[in-house]
Amino acid sequence: MRDSDRKQYAARLTQRLVRREISRRDFMRSAAALGLGAGAFGLGMTRPFGGNPYAMADNHAADLRPSDEVLAWVKEVSAPFKGTTLKLATESTPPSNAINSQLKQYFEEASGMTVEIEVLPLEQVLQKLTLDIASQLGTYDLYYIDQSWAAFTARDVFDPREQLADKPDLAMPDWKVEDFLPALVDGIARYEDRLVGVPYDIPIFIFMYRKDIYEKMGFEAPATLEEYYTQAKAITDEMGPDMYGATGQMKSGHYSLECDWTAWLWGHGGSIFNSDGKFSGNDAEGLEAMEYWTKLKETMPPGVTGWTWDGQGQSIAQGVAATMMSWGEFFPYFDDPEATKVSGLMEAVRCPAPTKALRTVDQTGYGEIPGVGHQGGSSLAVSRNSKNPDPAWIFMQWATSYDTQVLITALGGGTGPTRTAVYDDPRIIANNRVGPGTTRHLNVVRETIANDMGSEPDLPAWAELANDTIPVRLGKYFAGEYGSAKEAMDDIAQAADAVVEG
Amino acid sequence: MTETATDPLSRDRSSPPVAAPRPAFRGLRRLVSWDGPMPWLAPLIALLIVFTIYPLFYNIWLSFHEYAPFKRRLEYVGFQNWATLWEDARFWGSLSVTFTYFVVVLAIEVVLGMMIALLLDSDEPGFGVLRALLTLTLVIPPAITGMMFLLIQDPEFGVLTYVLEGIGVLDGQSPILATSSTALLGVMLADVWQWTPFMVLIFLAGLRSLPQEPYEAAMLDGASALQTFQRITLPLMSKVIAVAVLIRGIDVFRMFDYVFVMTSGGPGTSTYVLSLYAWQQTFSFIKWGYGATLSLVSLAIILVIANLFIKLAKVRW
Repeated sequence: MRDSDRKQYAARLTQRLVRREISRRDFMRSAAALGLGAGAFGLGMTRPFGGNPYAMADNHAADLRPSDEVLAWVKEVSAPFKGTTLKLATESTPPSNAINSQLKQYFEEASGMTVEIEVLPLEQVLQKLTLDIASQLGTYDLYYIDQSWAAFTARDVFDPREQLADKPDLAMPDWKVEDFLPALVDGIARYEDRLVGVPYDIPIFIFMYRKDIYEKMGFEAPATLEEYYTQAKAITDEMGPDMYGATGQMKSGHYSLECDWTAWLWGHGGSIFNSDGKFSGNDAEGLEAMEYWTKLKETMPPGVTGWTWDGQGQSIAQGVAATMMSWGEFFPYFDDPEATKVSGLMEAVRCPAPTKALRTVDQTGYGEIPGVGHQGGSSLAVSRNSKNPDPAWIFMQWATSYDTQVLITALGGGTGPTRTAVYDDPRIIANNRVGPGTTRHLNVVRETIANDMGSEPDLPAWAELANDTIPVRLGKYFAGEYGSAKEAMDDIAQAADAVVEG
Repeated sequence: MTETATDPLSRDRSSPPVAAPRPAFRGLRRLVSWDGPMPWLAPLIALLIVFTIYPLFYNIWLSFHEYAPFKRRLEYVGFQNWATLWEDARFWGSLSVTFTYFVVVLAIEVVLGMMIALLLDSDEPGFGVLRALLTLTLVIPPAITGMMFLLIQDPEFGVLTYVLEGIGVLDGQSPILATSSTALLGVMLADVWQWTPFMVLIFLAGLRSLPQEPYEAAMLDGASALQTFQRITLPLMSKVIAVAVLIRGIDVFRMFDYVFVMTSGGPGTSTYVLSLYAWQQTFSFIKWGYGATLSLVSLAIILVIANLFIKLAKVRW
């Protein structure tokens, strides 16, 4: 059997186990026949949100365990650092969950180090990170850096290019920054001339819709934002309140609300900042976007103003809403028949086209990149305050290596890889089918990254703007506390410019 | 000067000592001696210094400084943080929300607590179990209570939403926690549910220790239940009520967990209380100086209210 066939067979086998189409005994037998070794996989299933459809046993499968070469490298370079404990605080994302629950054991075994990963809500990660930076205590050796924090953390982390140059003896063979998707390196990990780590995960807005409802309504996937609104309204009018045409993540004061806003803003030819560095969400395009969003909200469930991304995902999963333009990493979860009511019913396509031409980067401020596919990616970097920068650098290379990314994508529930080649790995392609941990949306993710990706601006004040100034006032707008969208956006403009000016 | 006067060994023992400790020093010596209270209080005083007095003075010092992120150090800013306070609309808004929350929640908990305490003030079988059950809400972490009430008030499947829509109070388009006019009430509900039993327990303890004679006299005089409550129970319970209000009032003013979990201060700023604002400035935006200033204002307000209340209610400790 050829290697690629063996890998595909292993993936299919795993899929059948996950779907419970075969018993664990049969799986073991087949796995043994395939040379995977008895006891491979199968110590029960853990399915927290974000993936992990498979749980691997101690006796590792050949294809869904780190390669021997990688582990040999880890063992070799980690020898002087045995006994070191590394700490990382991260959001609960598929890569972090996969590494924490299933993969880090291999690293620990090979390196003799211990890796402590705190999985927290995003706002708590920000809190811990900012405190660690301000106090310079070095509590965390590695930082999980949301792209909106890149600017203010840039000086507190090592640029991986410098680490590669300064520590050639610790460099993982073939680990290159150039192998990451260039758009992600620029959009997530670059601040001015520095790299703030390397892209670690890439949640990005794609369009997901209920195929069955669209067929029933006689719709095709929307080509433009206007068409999307028309469809969403028609579904809500026809099927509401049991089914709504759209949904959102619109909790007042939460970062998620800002994420939704940018997609509509960029999609209407607007931008957060103009080339003078002034807030421009209150210009003509910004107000058009607000008008669109306000009417689209009428097609959403009434609870949408209390939801972050979790509530939004649940509204699809529980069959309350028919479409969402949101994070692609939800998709594998929707395909899980044990977790949702919509397994096999969802389809993923690129976001509808903008109503007007997107602004260019030159027309915006602080490196903002307009695009309907809002990206919320994060990077992984070694803290300059770490007391163990070298061991942390080894872990970082391993966690973001090609081999680990394939495993993360397979085990983590089909999250979007940040390395180009991972999309074409046979083990990833083999999961392109309906079921938990599916990767059938990944081509859409890759196309969106290449064509539609929108990135927030990079400036030190952005964390405050994105997590407070903008979403608090947008929340007030949707709660009816402003007389008009213009009044709301003018207020945001005034507050945002004041924050930027310091 | 004679030698006798300078040489203590040659001093006439019948004469009074030259430097006999004055009464104040005698008191101090007794205080710190092993027979005095100080050795026993020392650990507590040390804890107070480390965890209360030092942080308080550090906070005061901090309020005249601000963290400069690009220089990675605290810089002296004089009264800038205090001046910012007066111009900060968010501060005044959060103060207003805090006061509204404080007054409404405290009033409801006192009235409801007293009513339930009066109902449970009985020796009939089963009442002891009911009183014991009251402690259950108190052991639940407030964050969990917040999460419970978030679900109870969920616009899609929340039982409270369902009931209120059923009786026509809600229209189905205005979620409780996402509507400015009702969000604070939604948060208050969690507080009232969790902490009213605390008031009940304190009031019950007071009620059950009241003397019976005034009630017997009132009964002989033909006083109604309401008159008995107004003229006897309330005056006799005034000190207990005052202490309960004081303890609970300080807690209510500092409330954080419920808004953090349920609304994050929204929609807009309609549930943004002072403690949440101080937390956000301190920990999310690393404006340590301004966060310290907000905390000190909160502390000052609590101290003023508490002392005013102690004076007006004539609470004796």
